[in-house]
Amino acid sequence: MESAATLPQWRANLATIAALMARAKNELLRVPGAAIPGVLAPTIFFLGLNGVFGALTQLNGFTTGSYESFIVPVSMLQGAGFTGAAAGVNLARDIEGGWTDRLLVSPAPRWVLLAGTVLSASARALIPATSVFLIALLLGAGWPGLDGLLVTYFMVAAMAAVAACWGSALALRFKSQSAAPLMQAGMMGLILTTTAYAPLALLQPWMRSVAEVNPVTQVMDAARQGFVGGVSWAETWPGVVALAALLALLGAWALREMRRTAV
Amino acid sequence: MNELATNFRVVRALGMRSIRQTFRRPQLMAPIVVFPTLLLAIQTGGAGGAVDLPGFPPVQSFLQFMLAGAMMQSLMLAGNSGGIALAVDIEMGFTDRLFSAPIPRYTIVLGRLAGTAALGLFSALWFLAIGLIFGAEIHSGVAGALIAIALVTATAMAVGGIGAAIALRTGSASVVQGLFPLVLVVLFLSSAFFPNELMIQPAKAIAEYNPLSFVAEGVRGPIVSGIDASELGEAVLAIAGIVVLGLVLSARALRHRLRVG
Amino acid sequence: MPAIVVAGLERAFGEVWAVQGVDLEVDEGEIYGFLGPNGAGKTTTVRMLTTLLLPTGGQATVAGHDVMREARAVRASIGVALQEAALDPLMTGRELIRLQATLQGLPGDEGKRRADDLLERVDLAAAADRRVGGYSGGMKRRLDLAAALVHEPRVLFLDEPTTGLDPVSRKTIWEEVRALNDDGTTVFLTTQYLEEADQLADSVGIIDSGRIVAEGTPEALKAQIGHPHVQLQLAEGSVAEAEEVCARIGKLLPPKDGKAVLVEVENGAADIPRVVRALDDAGIGVESLELVRPTLDDVFVAKTGHHLEKDDEGDAEPEAVEA
Repeated sequence: MESAATLPQWRANLATIAALMARAKNELLRVPGAAIPGVLAPTIFFLGLNGVFGALTQLNGFTTGSYESFIVPVSMLQGAGFTGAAAGVNLARDIEGGWTDRLLVSPAPRWVLLAGTVLSASARALIPATSVFLIALLLGAGWPGLDGLLVTYFMVAAMAAVAACWGSALALRFKSQSAAPLMQAGMMGLILTTTAYAPLALLQPWMRSVAEVNPVTQVMDAARQGFVGGVSWAETWPGVVALAALLALLGAWALREMRRTAV
Repeated sequence: MNELATNFRVVRALGMRSIRQTFRRPQLMAPIVVFPTLLLAIQTGGAGGAVDLPGFPPVQSFLQFMLAGAMMQSLMLAGNSGGIALAVDIEMGFTDRLFSAPIPRYTIVLGRLAGTAALGLFSALWFLAIGLIFGAEIHSGVAGALIAIALVTATAMAVGGIGAAIALRTGSASVVQGLFPLVLVVLFLSSAFFPNELMIQPAKAIAEYNPLSFVAEGVRGPIVSGIDASELGEAVLAIAGIVVLGLVLSARALRHRLRVG
Repeated sequence: MPAIVVAGLERAFGEVWAVQGVDLEVDEGEIYGFLGPNGAGKTTTVRMLTTLLLPTGGQATVAGHDVMREARAVRASIGVALQEAALDPLMTGRELIRLQATLQGLPGDEGKRRADDLLERVDLAAAADRRVGGYSGGMKRRLDLAAALVHEPRVLFLDEPTTGLDPVSRKTIWEEVRALNDDGTTVFLTTQYLEEADQLADSVGIIDSGRIVAEGTPEALKAQIGHPHVQLQLAEGSVAEAEEVCARIGKLLPPKDGKAVLVEVENGAADIPRVVRALDDAGIGVESLELVRPTLDDVFVAKTGHHLEKDDEGDAEPEAVEA
């Protein structure tokens, strides 16, 4: 029995990624209220951080008088981390329920299956990011300029991809949703041990040391540019490199775990 | 008197069960203590410069100041998780067994809250230990530590009462779990993490009247400055207020549940 | 060329050997029934043959490709409907089949056309645009089957396709499997129901505790056993006494439940009067008596010493109730 002609591999791969992304949107559109926690948590954190620690801008060394402007990128990136980790939790759920078997038994290449999860997380992260951004504007944060905004959104999407790789690797490794707290805590730790609360000089010595080696600090500073000043390539490229490195590392790990699911 | 003794035994039995449940599943207990610890480290490291702000109360270190906030966060999570546990009992049908037994309703809720109290106690001890390990002093020594522990434990139970009320009303674990962000909001709108005077409006105004602020300051006082009778009194009053709220909501929720079955 | 060749296949999970050296061969166009009780190793074997699990020993070839070294080629040639119907409750039936078509590399319009055909074929055309979450158990199985067929695979794997279904749904699946086989598809199905293996399979492999204990056509296997047995329900008198009496006439078989007595008789119906008389002499009253011809269960008992289909005696572990 002959099978009908199939598409050339590259087209089949693209079609598969698109189909998996289409499925992922069902979580948001077909489950009432599902979008709320993802949007609410970063927004609440933003409002809370601002209300609680806002006075920090009075300290010498703060480059801006508006704490809202300072922490907008923090909450936007947190939303990215949360969304990516949640993608990992969903993958764990799919593995537990047997859905992932359907994908694994098909001839689709493993990287294609991973790309579906990661790219949809990137896209989804734009939602909480926008929510935080709009609320920040309402509260008086400065307009970052179109270039600043684009840089920030780029960082958000890429950070979500990084978080999705992290979450997916854990999901494939432990094949259980009980790894969820680790997925979330890991990203939270990564994003907040940076110049999140204050500029580098004002961090406590131990935190400063950590932030200096944490690649996400570059991402944070790059994403913050437009909100606290002007945008320059010199300030942007370190963030891009940091994200590329994290994506390469965590992506490779996730892919390895995806390929090892049969063990 | 005999009835009281029986009820006490029931509460103790249900309480032991609730405590055993809590500590038998470390993966459920961990987030309640680990997340606030993580946040404590991050916030102390990131915002520690706050002690240099004009108007910041005299403290030995920012860590010393933040211990109370970490404990508050833990106890709120504990109360939330106690509510989830009760909702799971309801979903499983275990509470039906209890309801059909000849025991007064309050013993059921009280028994569940024992687990929450144990968790509150544990987190108070945990953060005091963390503080001491990382160099923070407890200003009022052992007496101060005991007061902090007592307040945290009592508040955990009080908050647990509200969690229990929600569990009884909705009977759904996922609803109670979904309220967790709300828990965080309420805590942010208090002086748990920062002195009230230095907060930004409108959070500042809300925090001024938030009962959790009084509790936080009551817990913080003995650690940072000393035992203050009026501060303590306000904390106790605030806890009492939360307890009353929890009781009222629980009673109404119980009636609803028994009517709806 | 055989569709499936398995040699010495093994799988260990830590200390536990789920599959301990399985050898089998399935010809093209055959329906192969893999029969065994829960926990025998059926699902583990299927997962290895469908590249979801790596063997820890041995070899297997499916549709001419080695499962370990040519996994992708295997996946392109097989259709799989697994025990946990791998369905997404938020998708509609049509969306699921079209997704499957995309996963198999089929162009969009081809996928659309085949989805329509398959949904019609498994009688889900009316429910096609409703969410899978609302489907009944039987509907979910039919959808799973349809999805497994979208790329017209040469070999179809069905893991317990009718477990938990009502008799009508079961018949429907059986008819569909036969129709597929008539079209030339090789079918490898696992089951714990001997009737299913008996009715559907050209060849049967009986597995117990990770090993194949018997293999052949259903008729050949049953012929091996040969003798029918008499099944007695007692009206009065003890089971032990009855067993003692019957043991003198024929071979006693392990009881299926505590109340019946089973005795194998060499001469079939001719031995019945002897049994009845002997029991009567012993003062044992018989409520009912049946001559039962050999079944695959008998084959199983002969090879393993216990029944394939036991009565449920609390095999499921009790739900952990908090003290």
